[in-house]
Amino acid sequence: MAEKAAEFNPEVFKKTSDEKMSARLKMWLEMCAHCGLCADTCHYYLANEQDPKMMPAYKAKKVLDAIKKKGKIDEATLNSLYETVYGECTMCRRCTMFCPFGIDVASIISMARGLCVSQGKVPENLVKVIENYFAHGNQMALTQEDWIETLKWMEEELQEELPGATIPIDKKGANLLYTVNAREPKFYPMDIAHAVRVFHIAGEDWTMSSKGWDDTNLAMFAGDLKSAAYVSQLVRDAAEELEVKRVAITE
Amino acid sequence: MHSVTLFAEYLRDGRIKLDKSVFAKERCTYQDPCNVSRNGGCARDAREIVKYLCEDFVEMEPHGAYNFCCGGGGGMIPMAGPFRERRLRAGKVKADQIRATGAAICITPCHNCYDQIRDLNKQYELGIKVLSFKEMFEHALIIPEELKAKEDEGEEGEKEE
Repeated sequence: MAEKAAEFNPEVFKKTSDEKMSARLKMWLEMCAHCGLCADTCHYYLANEQDPKMMPAYKAKKVLDAIKKKGKIDEATLNSLYETVYGECTMCRRCTMFCPFGIDVASIISMARGLCVSQGKVPENLVKVIENYFAHGNQMALTQEDWIETLKWMEEELQEELPGATIPIDKKGANLLYTVNAREPKFYPMDIAHAVRVFHIAGEDWTMSSKGWDDTNLAMFAGDLKSAAYVSQLVRDAAEELEVKRVAITE
Repeated sequence: MHSVTLFAEYLRDGRIKLDKSVFAKERCTYQDPCNVSRNGGCARDAREIVKYLCEDFVEMEPHGAYNFCCGGGGGMIPMAGPFRERRLRAGKVKADQIRATGAAICITPCHNCYDQIRDLNKQYELGIKVLSFKEMFEHALIIPEELKAKEDEGEEGEKEE
């Protein structure tokens, strides 16, 4: 589960940063020469009147400064770090393409999000969806019943046009396991029908799974890597149980 | 594997066929999702699909692995709340890119990009349609006669509805 330690805990902060500080991250953080080539590769920098605080190098330095203090940071610093790592970077990795050293700022930001997680500082909505993964196996808290019902409904919809089209559920040994974003059964159910149409016409030997069918991983974006490992394991388990050859994720 | 790679494979192998005339009158562009194009290496697969699907296709500049993030990645969409305003502001770069193509349709195979670009469409009044490949396939896929519903029999030559 997403840790929800409500209070700022410098010891946990230091312990977490020690654990997360791999040689690679340490090298990247120390190697940045602040040359500024990353500045206009970043959409935040460009869209915010070239505010130097939006430069990827600045954001990385902010993380380094927080870590250097070995947990002796105040709450204001933590809050400011939180705003930067969640609110001013989408971890898109574009800056890395232009960095002369290939510094992976996204990994640095992800690590810093993990530091925030250790302090219970996670955007509220992400905490909710992470709980959903644990309780229901998908980010939208759909029950298995809802899920199967949605598939049946989409199957019927499509059969009006393509009488032979079916959605095989838990078909062992299928060539392909198709997984979706849980936003599809919740908000865009027709997306599922559109995919079925493709598989049916292609003559694919495919299946969907009654569990482990949500291919999103918002725990990863939250920086909560323990939960992220759990979430990705759900799909892996489904694939292994069904002995499929390939797994496809939705658009 | 990502659906984009799978769909490109189906088209390449002739397992599915598209009617290119369906979207012929609408200029299309393609939003490279960071996790599909830059980090997933599927930029070329998407262009392959586009060749079967679009008559009038214009790339954003830059594109492929160098394309900009839409601003909805990294969990930004579900974070919502206080992050929404920052997300829409950062999306201006993407809105400008799309506008410069003159496209009527922005294709994107990612739910984050999809929701973000739909928001940008309103915010920056782009006047575009945002579609995934499979939404376009709904109209462009050629359905083999033997798979069609019975009442359609005898109505050959009818290309689309």
